[in-house]
Amino acid sequence: MIQRVAIKIDGMIIRAPKGTSVLDAALDYGICIPHLCRVPYLSDIGACRLCIVEHVVNGRSKITTSCTLLVKEDMVILSNTEEVRKLRRNIAELIVAEAPNSRAIQDVALRCGVKEVRYPFRNSDCILCGRCVSVCTGRFGVKAIGFVGRGNERRVETPFNMRSELCRDCGACIDVCPMAVVPCGGPMKTGEERLCGNCEPKMAFAEQTPGFCVWCDLGEGFQCERYAMGLRK
Amino acid sequence: MRKINTISDLEALREELQNFRKNFDTTLVLCGGTGCQASRSRELINRVKGEVTKQGLEKKVLVRATGCHGFCEQGPIVVVEPGNIFYCHVMPDDAQEIIAETVCNGEVIERLLYTDPVTGKTIQTESEIPFYRSQDRQLLAQNRQVDPCSIEDYIAIGGYSAISKTLAGMAPEAIIEEVKTAGLRGRGGGGFPTGRKWAECLEAPGDEKYVICNADEGDPGAYMDRSVLEGNPHLVLEGMMIGAWAVAAQQGYVYVRNEYPLAVEHIRVAVQQARELGLLGENILGTSFSFDVEIARGGGAFVCGESTALMASLEGKVGEPRPKDIHTVVDGLWHKPTVLNNVETWANIPSIVLNGSKWFASKGSKNSKGTKILALTGRIKNTGLVEVPMGTSLQTVIFDVGGGPTGKSIRAVQTGGPSGGCLPIDKFYLPLEFDALAEAGSMIGSGGIVVMDEETCMVDVAKYFLAFLQDESCGKCVPCRLGIDRMLEIITDITEGLGTPEQIDLLEDLANTVSETALCALGKTAANPVLSTLRYFPDEYDAHISQKKCPAGVCQALVTYSIDPEICTGCGICKRECPHEAISGKKKQPHKIDPQLCQKCGICKSECNFEAIQVK
Amino acid sequence: MTHFKLTSILEGRRSQPHQLIEVLQDVQEHCGYIPEEAMRTISKELGVPLTEVYSVASFYKAFSLKPRGKNVITVCTGTACHVRGAKMVLNQAIGQLNVAPGEMTEDGLFSVEHVNCLGACALGPVVTENGSCHHHMNPGKLRKLIGTLGSRPTEEGSYEKNQYHQ
Repeated sequence: MIQRVAIKIDGMIIRAPKGTSVLDAALDYGICIPHLCRVPYLSDIGACRLCIVEHVVNGRSKITTSCTLLVKEDMVILSNTEEVRKLRRNIAELIVAEAPNSRAIQDVALRCGVKEVRYPFRNSDCILCGRCVSVCTGRFGVKAIGFVGRGNERRVETPFNMRSELCRDCGACIDVCPMAVVPCGGPMKTGEERLCGNCEPKMAFAEQTPGFCVWCDLGEGFQCERYAMGLRK
Repeated sequence: MRKINTISDLEALREELQNFRKNFDTTLVLCGGTGCQASRSRELINRVKGEVTKQGLEKKVLVRATGCHGFCEQGPIVVVEPGNIFYCHVMPDDAQEIIAETVCNGEVIERLLYTDPVTGKTIQTESEIPFYRSQDRQLLAQNRQVDPCSIEDYIAIGGYSAISKTLAGMAPEAIIEEVKTAGLRGRGGGGFPTGRKWAECLEAPGDEKYVICNADEGDPGAYMDRSVLEGNPHLVLEGMMIGAWAVAAQQGYVYVRNEYPLAVEHIRVAVQQARELGLLGENILGTSFSFDVEIARGGGAFVCGESTALMASLEGKVGEPRPKDIHTVVDGLWHKPTVLNNVETWANIPSIVLNGSKWFASKGSKNSKGTKILALTGRIKNTGLVEVPMGTSLQTVIFDVGGGPTGKSIRAVQTGGPSGGCLPIDKFYLPLEFDALAEAGSMIGSGGIVVMDEETCMVDVAKYFLAFLQDESCGKCVPCRLGIDRMLEIITDITEGLGTPEQIDLLEDLANTVSETALCALGKTAANPVLSTLRYFPDEYDAHISQKKCPAGVCQALVTYSIDPEICTGCGICKRECPHEAISGKKKQPHKIDPQLCQKCGICKSECNFEAIQVK
Repeated sequence: MTHFKLTSILEGRRSQPHQLIEVLQDVQEHCGYIPEEAMRTISKELGVPLTEVYSVASFYKAFSLKPRGKNVITVCTGTACHVRGAKMVLNQAIGQLNVAPGEMTEDGLFSVEHVNCLGACALGPVVTENGSCHHHMNPGKLRKLIGTLGSRPTEEGSYEKNQYHQ
């Protein structure tokens, strides 16, 4: 029998199987916690930091990622406080400034409340979310690609940048890549650091209810956990 | 060498070694640490040894090449015992004179004595030197008493008696209680109570457990761990043995920076010697306790100082930290319970066991007990390694031990390396301890103290640390990788005169985000240099932004080089040396720098004998 | 690197993935860099996927993936050296040799690198040249040092020497 524990998220009591993460438990109940590096059913690396929540212990709250935090009896979680929203917005702003032309990344940024970007845009081809590496190693156990270098020089590569003997051409890495979703045609030029806002009408309701999943169309292509789990049937 | 099978074997060997030492009339203590080696001490040691043999004094004079004494600025250092005579800046050619005059005739060589830069007087003995006098050298003083490559030296001064006391009758719980009562907190920077860490590890389920010594001292400007491991490796080993006994671990690892070749060599020798004597291995001292230590060399990554990254690196993987929602004392190296402490923490253990927790807790402040080794560097007279009780004020360390400024007046101090912050002179009353410094926006960190004067630009210091951290961040999490990158982008704009007042708000907002949300301690503390300089030196940021000036004359884009015609003698050296042909002038007449041609390389300034080159 | 040396480095470490970093350290020490072929062999012998060997070799600063020059100029850029002007010293090396940090000059004579701290902080700025340590450096002194080295014939493997002088 599956053991279940009761935790409290934003005042709501939720029962989740032991061993699940707070993020999974929340999503299961329709509480929206934005996330990016998470690939459903694979182990979490806690890299994008978008899924941060406040974990309240003995009256003191600590910011932590919900994907790496496992549910525990009587745990108290706040997923949608002003502080969390501010930090999440700042992180999303950093990410979208790297890749303003990705629809998926724009959607995530909008969902996190980013209206303007205070940094010069850079049009990177990769935002190093690591989803492809997770899939390649975690789901297929292949390790054809991996992270190379560190810090500013970190990138995803095959060894010596040559086609890896281990690659099976399964294409899973492309399927989960937020940059592979049809690029946005919006005017994202250096010096015009704002999101075009053409998609905003879709977002209006999401903004009014930031804490709840409203089955928004956000990044259906890059697999929001809820779509991927096939919950919407 | 014979194996030691019981505690009485060890005591017998100790007595034998101590008696042997009594045969010598004179001991020459020569520092062979990294600092002194850079000043040719290895050559000096060989010359002294050669001279002793030549004079046939082998039976009377003991030459001991030791680890770092701490006063690196004055190296190479020689101390003659008995008499405590202190010679500094000793060159290989001085060897013969020291043997002939001091050893044979008992004469003091005046020119090799230390001159106090404050009073201008020479000082004969080590204990009278202000740099040493104001310290409490519990750990560092032992460096002088042992040759790091000799386990005999260590045993002779009472080494390995703490582990024999432990094994003779102290239960793991009793040891942990002792460490808890002593109030020892982690010396690597985190300040976590060591006893509590051990207790959690002892309680964690599992038969296989590990202890790790973190000697991956990556903080630029800090080298206390290097000196302890290099100068007294057996002390660290003994501490680890006691820890292993307390948490029931059978295997230990020393993760040491490869940039410290001497430390790597010495700890390797120490482990080998301890194995040969039977102090490491199966059934140590005839008890059921078995323990061994392996040495792993770090790959040159600052982030590996973080415990989870270090463990990943020990497993042969990329040194990326992982979230610590489950602590390493439960799920550590190879997912087994693991205790990780830094070099200095381990080195404190034997004396706590021997002298008791009360003795240890009698030193230090309310919440920070014992002594702390600090690496005192920067723009002060006496630079080197310093050991003072926790809670000693910055003022005392910088002015009493450090001897005050070298020329320009002191205005700030940077503590705790890249994770710490800059404190202005009006905060120098603060005690050096974990909590007080953290409250002021800095931290004691591993103990690096860099003193800065009017020629240090605070914005440049913040930029320096950001560049360091950008290079050293593993790049895994967004706030650290992109956050540091963007902070550096903004600060670079400011130092190049392109900054705007709005950027200050953005910088602060971003810095707070990074410190709240980054995955590991490297990222969480990365913003400290920025936040502390913003907090204490807002004027300096303002000068860069609104006046486009660097008051300290450091930020290259904002300074110009010129020659003071009042001082310039027209010697022509700068003109000859300038690689960009930017200097012109006639012999014996003041020269001029053409700002169009000047590349601000600084060669003229370092070549000028009259300090006529001005940077403004 | 001869095949023989790699074999002796791997001795006693085969099929032990956790020895990867130690093996790479030894290869770096013997060759001055990590050749691609060595990585392929290490991957097979230790049982570590090539991607991981490549990741590790590129992650740690101790490992160089490209051959290094005959003279390796390493400028310490630790805090203590920095506040005493290490950046000017590094810029001097870069400018004089016209090479980026971590790169080798076209003639293969020099590599310029920087290290975050050598632990000789009391003596900064510190520069090591082929393992020899020079303290209290400034741009002028370094220029002369590079000048001397450039006109001196160098022996193979000189980076293994570990002498110190002023």
